[in-house]
Amino acid sequence: MSVTLARIEPSIAGVGDYVALLKPRVMSLVVFTALVGLLIAPGHVHPVIALTALLCIAVGAGAAGALNMWYDADIDARMLRTAGRPIPQGRVTPGEVAGFGLTLAVFAVATLGLLVNWVSASLLAFTIAFYVVIYTMWLKRSTPQNIVIGGAAGALPPIIGWAAVTGGVAVEPIVLFLIIFFWTPPHFWALSLYRAEDYARAGIPMLPVVAGEAETRRQIVLYTLILAPLGVAPWLMGFAGPLYGIAAIAGGAAMIALALRVRAERHGHVASKQMFGFSILYLFLLFAVLLADRLWGGLAAQAVSHFAA
Amino acid sequence: MTIVSDAMDETPPPPFPPPLAGEGQGGGIRLTEQQLRARRSRSIAIALALGAFVVVIFLVTLVKLGSNVLTRPM
Repeated sequence: MSVTLARIEPSIAGVGDYVALLKPRVMSLVVFTALVGLLIAPGHVHPVIALTALLCIAVGAGAAGALNMWYDADIDARMLRTAGRPIPQGRVTPGEVAGFGLTLAVFAVATLGLLVNWVSASLLAFTIAFYVVIYTMWLKRSTPQNIVIGGAAGALPPIIGWAAVTGGVAVEPIVLFLIIFFWTPPHFWALSLYRAEDYARAGIPMLPVVAGEAETRRQIVLYTLILAPLGVAPWLMGFAGPLYGIAAIAGGAAMIALALRVRAERHGHVASKQMFGFSILYLFLLFAVLLADRLWGGLAAQAVSHFAA
Repeated sequence: MTIVSDAMDETPPPPFPPPLAGEGQGGGIRLTEQQLRARRSRSIAIALALGAFVVVIFLVTLVKLGSNVLTRPM
């Protein structure tokens, strides 16, 4: 029996390639929204434990990103937006990426479970599995509802942050989950309007490819009309102050105005590019104001109790 | 021509296959400058990540045990 050994080429992958596999921009949004979930949760958690939880959530999100790039290497190579990623560029092999992603995922979940609590660890494991198996392996290539359902994975971090403090789940983080969940479709469909050729070339059934631009623009308006009132809900439900309420109303109104401009646009994609850019700012603004509101509220309450004493 | 000189004329087979591009003598892999630099940077990153992991475990141990860290059963 003869055995043929494949020639193994020494790797030229640098640290930057492995950082790119973690999708650092997505990771930063995940960490930020998890931080908000963690800070608005009732009760106290030691800063070291909170930092450990955030680190585990960040690494878990990075692992999911790496596993997504491993599975999607074939379609990444066909799309302009993703052709520069480490696997299509030949700097890292798919096997190395799969090993890298799985190792980080197991480490992140185990560390979160052992050092913080198992409820948050289970939610992190579910998020990674949902993103990799349900979204990447199944929905992305089979239905135009891919980013609607798959968006649940990106919306879970505030719940994980909350669970890291309380060991459970409550209405408040679920409202934050819903905000991100209904933000995802208009955000990605705005992008897919001016990247439709790219998605069509890769065979991904994004809404503009399958249902056309007009239907996509209509759905962007519908989802934005659900998103804007949801954005105000934390104020209406009493877990955010008036400053948040004003920001959410103004931001929501701007989102609806942009969505209507996207709907009215007949030629070019100026409005959809503006919608895509502003949607990132809108989500960041909502969570940043919620964070500032909560920190300011905490400081003010401390000051009041100090002077009362 | 003698039998001995006939045998001497034959080219002896090389002890190892000739090295390919990127290989040193004897079939071992000789890394290029770029590959060496990449490996060094990866090694430093792994060392830093392991160091950070040890620090996290150490700090969480202190936080979780608190003053009990000094309690030792005699």
